[in-house]
Amino acid sequence: MRRDVFQAIADPTRREILELLATQTMNLNAVSDNFNISRPAISKHIRILTECGLIIIQQEGRERQCKADLGKMKQVVDWTNQFQVFWNNKLDALESFLATEQQSKKSISPKNKK
Amino acid sequence: MKKEPLIVERILDAPTNLVWDALTDNNKMKKWYFDIEHFKAEPGFEFQFYGSSDDKRYLHLCKILEVEQGRKLSYSWKYKDYAGESVLTFELFEEGNKTRLKLTHEGLETFPADLPDFAVESFTAGWNHIIGTSLKEFVEKASEHTEK
Repeated sequence: MRRDVFQAIADPTRREILELLATQTMNLNAVSDNFNISRPAISKHIRILTECGLIIIQQEGRERQCKADLGKMKQVVDWTNQFQVFWNNKLDALESFLATEQQSKKSISPKNKK
Repeated sequence: MKKEPLIVERILDAPTNLVWDALTDNNKMKKWYFDIEHFKAEPGFEFQFYGSSDDKRYLHLCKILEVEQGRKLSYSWKYKDYAGESVLTFELFEEGNKTRLKLTHEGLETFPADLPDFAVESFTAGWNHIIGTSLKEFVEKASEHTEK
């Protein structure tokens, strides 16, 4: 599975977790307390965020502290980065569209030689 | 933020005139790009659209700056009520039966960098949905249809 900032923020719960951690470091329990979903579900989201490099887990004594990596977060708001993804997706769509059009054209006029 | 323009190049397996139509004829544009009624590839023509039909927060405002029939199309691209203005340029180059498309998006650094909400919602939630879901479905349906 893709692990990058865009994957990280594709899910609304993960976006909320990031928002929460953007201003403070919290342990896993404290993060879970802010949500109405199960702790294992929150743990899973935290794990994905860690794999995407947006959250760092630090062991402090018996506690595991979750901290947002704000440097990585900056990538999310980097317009160049976002548009890169956006235009690549759009051009994929253009390619598919052109392929479909060419195909239908050929089936309408089979005599049409290149 | 980087000041160099964003450049994306693609070789498209279609003649230049077909690619030009896909970029300028709304009947075709709406199938992969955005639905812009009465779109006219003429300098000075202004148009606007939302990123997606279920996200009406960010209105895109564009004005055509330069048109070289079949070769080059350039327009401004900004968001209503937000700072910043960018310029988008499509250039087409004939390569045998194929077309090399060069997309240049300049001025992205003029957009506000401190609006994560804007960025996150607009680009992931909203746009990923059209691009990843509705467009994919449309394209797949269209190709199913032509196969029949």
